[in-house]
Amino acid sequence: MATTRILEWLGRLYIWLLLAFLYLPIVIMALMSFNVSPFYQLPFEWTTEWYASLWQNDQLISATSNSIEIAVITTILCTALGTAASLAFYRYEFRGKKFLQALLFPPIAIPWLITGTAMLIFFFGVGIGRGLFAILLGHVALALPYVIVVVSARLQTFAPELEEAARSLGANQWQVTRRVTLPWIMPGVIAGGLFAFAVSFDQFVVSYFLSTPGQTTLPVEIYAAIRKGFTPEINAVSTIIIVVSMALMLLTARFFKFGGEK
Amino acid sequence: MAEHVATGSRSGLRSALPLLLPAYLWLTVAIFLPLSAMVFFSSMTELPLSGKAWSFTLENYATFFSERLYLTLLLASLRLGLEVTLWCVVIGFPAAYVLAKVLKGRSREAIFLLVILPFWSNGLVRIFSWAMVLREGGILDTALNAVLPFKINIDVMYSYPAVVIGLVHSYVPYMVLTCYLTLQAIDDSLIEAGRSLGASRLQMLRRVIIPLSMPGLVAGAALIFVPVVGSFMEPRILGGRTGTFYGTVIEDQFVAVFNWPLGAALSFILLAVVLVILALTSPVLRRAA
Amino acid sequence: MAGVQVSNLSRNFGAHKALDDVSIDFADGGFYALLGPSGSGKTTLLRQIAGFDFPDSGRIAIGGESVERVPVERRRIGMVFQNYALFPNMSVADNVAFGLSVRGEAKATIASEVQRALDLVQLSKLGGRRPHQLSGGQRQRVALARAIVTKPRVLLLDEPLGALDKALRVDMQIELKRIQREIGITTIFVTHDQEEALTMSDRIGILRDGRLVQEGPPEEIYDSPKSEFAATFLGDANIFRGETTGVGIRLPDGTAIAARAGATLAAGAKASCAVRPERIRIAIDSGSADQANGNVLRGQVSKRIFAGNNSTYFVERDGQTLKVIVQNTGADRLAAGQEVLLRWSPKSTVLIAAN
Repeated sequence: MATTRILEWLGRLYIWLLLAFLYLPIVIMALMSFNVSPFYQLPFEWTTEWYASLWQNDQLISATSNSIEIAVITTILCTALGTAASLAFYRYEFRGKKFLQALLFPPIAIPWLITGTAMLIFFFGVGIGRGLFAILLGHVALALPYVIVVVSARLQTFAPELEEAARSLGANQWQVTRRVTLPWIMPGVIAGGLFAFAVSFDQFVVSYFLSTPGQTTLPVEIYAAIRKGFTPEINAVSTIIIVVSMALMLLTARFFKFGGEK
Repeated sequence: MAEHVATGSRSGLRSALPLLLPAYLWLTVAIFLPLSAMVFFSSMTELPLSGKAWSFTLENYATFFSERLYLTLLLASLRLGLEVTLWCVVIGFPAAYVLAKVLKGRSREAIFLLVILPFWSNGLVRIFSWAMVLREGGILDTALNAVLPFKINIDVMYSYPAVVIGLVHSYVPYMVLTCYLTLQAIDDSLIEAGRSLGASRLQMLRRVIIPLSMPGLVAGAALIFVPVVGSFMEPRILGGRTGTFYGTVIEDQFVAVFNWPLGAALSFILLAVVLVILALTSPVLRRAA
Repeated sequence: MAGVQVSNLSRNFGAHKALDDVSIDFADGGFYALLGPSGSGKTTLLRQIAGFDFPDSGRIAIGGESVERVPVERRRIGMVFQNYALFPNMSVADNVAFGLSVRGEAKATIASEVQRALDLVQLSKLGGRRPHQLSGGQRQRVALARAIVTKPRVLLLDEPLGALDKALRVDMQIELKRIQREIGITTIFVTHDQEEALTMSDRIGILRDGRLVQEGPPEEIYDSPKSEFAATFLGDANIFRGETTGVGIRLPDGTAIAARAGATLAAGAKASCAVRPERIRIAIDSGSADQANGNVLRGQVSKRIFAGNNSTYFVERDGQTLKVIVQNTGADRLAAGQEVLLRWSPKSTVLIAAN
């Protein structure tokens, strides 16, 4: 028994070391964004001037508003299209269903570098070109499979008899969906929507290839800034991003338990 | 019930189509057509829209095979992928095991969430945060010099190890996630049964637990290896001048050299490599799902 | 209310004939049971009548109106599902109100109709509860109230009592029957439980492999089964196989078994006779003379199973095991190995043509 307890104790210690590995850089970056020295010199002296100077940076502000705008539209489109597709997969049997479901895999599994460059070539070729619209096109496509997977997982817990019962009581397809099915899958739809927002808001690679100097998103702007040299402003804006995206995922976890239904 | 399944099949596609069409049309325009277009463009001499005359050619692919540089870089990227994947297994599997079999109840849920949370947060920013830690005069340097009695100079930044550290940090949560899911599915009584038969902990691990968690390990490995081979932002930020890999060369073709047909060919070769890997692992992945 | 006529209904799922030329007339206000083993097509038939699935050929009429191409939501039927299918996101009252509300009824009408339906199923006080706060029996009642509140033309029940335990099931059988009589609705009830079918219904239809095997009042099917399958699926029966003699059959060993008068089969054809175990009297073989106008067989008791109010004897005779059920009257019990005489009246013997 003694060995068991020691092993358990070691296990816990190990997990905390892993968490330290995962979070320490982020915490340090956040701390540095409040440090007076622009060259990250210690000792640490508290300041919020880097955050204040963010407000003066028009480029960053416009990129941020682009990012939010695209993420919001992506969320709305993905939840609508994704929920509809999930319902179709849930309700109907047809030839080629397995194939269509398998097609959701490539957007998730193929490296964004490939997808991004392919989009760039294609959008250029057909005249869509680069810019915010192209970025939106790409983001929706990248986030859609996640929404379908999440909503479908929720639908697995839904009993088909409920739809049949509603129909036997005289409800038409729309009434069935709105009053019986949607209320049940709502947690999944919300989680899917938050996923879509996070995928879009954090997306860098695809946005990078599809952006133009005037029409860009926050992560692309940050990448450009990093390559020019590290500045405390980047720390500040990065800290804001990471806080926002982690908060979003915590919110998502309230609705969708990763690796299993609540 | 078989009858239910058959019920829908008659009018199934007709009813399903209006619901599926918007989503799949979108995926077609933004994913499937672009991927097909890439094949097309990769066999051209010039972009058709550039105004210059163009023709079909295999030259872009010939370039890949004739210039040692590209092959070398692809091999370097594959090696990077292997190394990062290996580290993720070494670090992630024990963590998944502790989460699934040692921790219990609410603390398990909370810590699990904490482990996978970074994975869903901004990857670019997380890579950037390592720059703060690894650079000369950075936190690691300062902290070690404050503790150690002698002066050392930590400058891991802009090196191969820095790239590996950043990528492992980025992808290890994935391995924890997939391994945790398969480990959790292993019945505790199975382990107790093995122990009651006289197997030691190590024997149980080697002969029961690891074979049973193979689907999770393979799934995690595939899902890490593939994006790492195609990474370019991480080597650029953390690798500096040493950070030239296959991904960064592709990036260059599109944003610096503007040789899109060559970039497309290089991308397509990478896609082929990726597809082969996914095809090799897909039987295991399907079992995991 | 309305009767339901099903005529020549067929439905194939690929090569599988789920329904094969089925015709039944469900009279207005009657209580019908569709009985059969799983895969017999009884659920398929119910779903066809409901409108969840459409036939390949044949006709379904509700109240004289052809509905076989009308989708479920416009058929004005009420259905109770095996697992009740109560909407988990709605209260009991909202569940019951659903059918009226999707029809756009006025709020006041809905409220009073819902209250009336809940009164009928004796759940007036539970309108505010959620389905998960109810017991199995209560859920069953809510499902029933929800199905009848819209005043459907026909009530369809898909093994509605299957999920309940035995004692509750008997209560619900009585309750269901009471409510059905009170509102006088044509009711079609799918079950695989023969006892449920016998006790509850006015008429029973037995299905097998997508075909209607026999249809009629419970007594008629039990007393005069038309096939070996009907005889053995509804109740228990001893089956003797042989050749017809005109008044009965002759077994391969030459023994004659006399059957009830009425059935006429060509002499010499293959046929069987069915006898219910409770119709056979069993007695110790004392070597006494055979009764002239009865069927008599000799056999040996191999086993006795005691079930309180009765006992079942297993009697071996010429390689066949016969079952005899004897009421517990306190008379002497027979032991295994005992040589016995089995006697029964030709009136209790049904002649069945071989299929």
